[in-house]
Parts: sequence; C-alpha cells; structure tokens
Amino acid sequence: MNFRDVELLSAYLDGQLSPSDSARLESRLASDPQLRAVMDDLRSARGLLRKLPQRRAPRNFTLTPKMAGLKAPEPRAYPTLRFATALATLLLVVTFAVNGLTPLATRSLAAAPAPAYGMGGGGGCDNCGGGAPETAPQESPAATLAPFAAMAPTETPGPVTSLAVPTQAADLTQPTAEANAKSLPPESGNGQPPQVRNEAPIPFTWQIALIVIILVCGATAWFVRFNNERKIRKQWDKK
Amino acid sequence: MDELALIASAQRGDLDAFNTLVLAYQDTLFNTALRILGDEDQAADATQDAFLSAFRGINSFRGGSFKAWLLRTVTNACYDELRRRKRRPTTPLEPNTGDGDEMDSPRWLADPSLTPEQQNEADELEHAIQHCLENLPVEFRTVVVMADIQGLDYVEVAGAMRVPLGTIKSRLARARLRLRECLQGFWELLPASFRLREETNA
Repeated sequence: MNFRDVELLSAYLDGQLSPSDSARLESRLASDPQLRAVMDDLRSARGLLRKLPQRRAPRNFTLTPKMAGLKAPEPRAYPTLRFATALATLLLVVTFAVNGLTPLATRSLAAAPAPAYGMGGGGGCDNCGGGAPETAPQESPAATLAPFAAMAPTETPGPVTSLAVPTQAADLTQPTAEANAKSLPPESGNGQPPQVRNEAPIPFTWQIALIVIILVCGATAWFVRFNNERKIRKQWDKK
Repeated sequence: MDELALIASAQRGDLDAFNTLVLAYQDTLFNTALRILGDEDQAADATQDAFLSAFRGINSFRGGSFKAWLLRTVTNACYDELRRRKRRPTTPLEPNTGDGDEMDSPRWLADPSLTPEQQNEADELEHAIQHCLENLPVEFRTVVVMADIQGLDYVEVAGAMRVPLGTIKSRLARARLRLRECLQGFWELLPASFRLREETNA
C-alpha cells in the first residue's frame, strides 16, 4: 500500500480511471481488505464534503457602474462644443501673437536706420524723418487685413491708444478705414495712417468675439456633460 | 438569455448582463470563499473583489467553463485575503480549538428544516469539517473545495488552478486522506453510517 494506491482509489471514486485501470483496481479491492479500508476512508471524507450545505450569499454582489468604473456615455453635442472651444482658444492665441509680433516685425523693417530700442509704437519713426516714406511699402501686410479694420472702424482707437500713440492717431482712424475700403489710394502713403494699422492688424472686437465663443461653448459643453451624467446616474440608481 | 449571450454582452461592457451572471453565481463564489477562508465577512469581501476583477478581466475569458473561470478569480481573491491576514494577524471571534469544545454555532448557519437538536449536530459537524479544511495547506484546500464542494471535474479544476492534471489527482487524494485523519478527532459528531464503517474496518 503506497501513496500511488491512494491516488488510484481517489480517482476511482471520481470515475476518473480508465476502464482497464478500474477493472484492475476492483480485482485488487476484492482480495485486499486494507485497500478496501482506505477506499472507505476516502469515500467517507469525500461524502462528508459533498454533503456540506451550500450557504446563500449574505447579500447581492452585483456591481454598480461606480464600482465597475464605468463612465456615462458622452452626449452627442459634447465633442463639437469641446472642439469649438479649443479652436476658438487657439485662434485667440493666434490673434494675440499676430497683434504682438506684427508691429515688431514692421518696426524692425521700417525703422532699420533708427535705433532698435525706439519703443512707443510709431514714435520711433516720428523722429527719423526719412522713415515715413519707407513705411509705405510695408503696407502690404496691413492692407491684407484691411477688411478687419473696415468692419470695426470705431474699435481701432482701442489698441491704438493702448500702444501710446498720440491722440492725433485716433483722428486719423476714420480716413484710414475709408482708405482701406478703397483699396489703398495713393494718399495712404503719407506715412502716418499705415503706422496706425500696423499696431493692431487683428481688431480687438475679434478677440472679444473669440472670448465670448470660448466662454459660451465651454460653459455649454460643461453643462451638457454635467446634465447628461446626472441623468444617467439617476437611471443607473433606479436599476 | 443564455449564459454565452450574457458573457458576450458583458464583454462589450454591458453591466446589466454581467450582473445577471453575478446573481447566478454569487452563492457558488461565496461558498467557495467561505470554505477556503472560514470567515463570512472575509468571504464576502473576497467574493465582491472576485466579481469586480471578473468584470474587468472578462475579455480574457476565451470559452470553456465559465464557472471554473469565476472560481479561479475567487480563489485568487482568497489568496490575496490570506496574504493580508498573514501580514495583519487577527484574533478569531469564534474560538477554534483542536478538540472542538468551544465551537460556536453561528446563527447564519441555521437550517430551519431541522429540529434544534439536529440543527445543533449539523452545525457542529459542519464546523468540524470547516476546521479540518482550514488545517489543510491552502493549495490542497482549494482543490478539495473545487472538486468535492463545487463539483468541478479534474480537467476543470486543473484549468482553474493552472496546474497539471496529475497534480490535481495527487492533491485531492492527499487532501481526502488528511481530512479523514482530522475528522477522527470529531468521532461523536460523525454520522452513524460513517461510524459504522469505521467500526467494521477496525
């Protein structure tokens, strides 16, 4: 009697022996009382375990969406609103970049002979005499942005004054806008009006409009998602 | 809805389908955990953990016995619980002595179909078996719980435990032998048929 026999007996009880192995074991059991006793022991232990009552679960183990880490599906409008917000933000950054960089670029080209540290908008060119005629060819970037100025002529004093241009620049705004609308007549080459346009190629109203778009789209996106999640959670809680 | 369809839905993230499976298998998983851990609260925790990890890993189920697959998750949860217990040993609320003198009969074990005396005997026998199960090394205990208590066949047990079939056969034989030896200590609790056979053998 060795452990191999115990294994055979255990497998025999479970019907896991091949017919030939079973027949061989049965003939041994018929003639070996010790083997029979061990089989009875194993059968008793197996029988007791199989008769153990099955307990009912003390509670339900169903998962809630929160436990399962599920998220409420996004509302359809959400990606569009999110994209619109992101795009408007990007455009706003671009407008700031353009407005900030264009005057610098213009100044470095136009006022090449003048000192580079001549800050204060077009003030550096007011003193440099020959600078004015040279700024006329620099019209092209501003000219392409002329519709912007034409669309919001009254707003142009905003950025202009913020750049510390003398008050006479504000007086010149109206003719400038008109001049832009007429596709740059020759008198626009008098030096001063182009400088005014170069200070703010993208009007302030556009930036305001972009900020409004960002705020409205962002808030709507948040509200749509919040409302959707609340609705879905209510549905899940009902279940 | 049949089980395979529910599993397929659950694999697509349908929590309702998965919860239907939970309701069908929660008693099986809880019983398995209870027999391995011997503590109702810990068994409930292990069962909950098992269902949670089953939902998260349901896409790894590639067919075969879903019950065996679930039993694997619950035994893993039980092993985690046992490791935690080893790190933070606690005093058991129910005295668990070798001679069984002070064994309690928890109310949740009560079966209303038995008389109080029968119930008391059944409770004590069950407690004795549980005590002997807990004396087995955990890998033996798991095999015996899967095969004899949950009725899985050898192939399913081998698949669930990811060990060779021969190892299952060997562990099961050894576990049954050890249980028989342990139960000798609860002679007076054993059913008459069990005792008669023992007397005949003696």
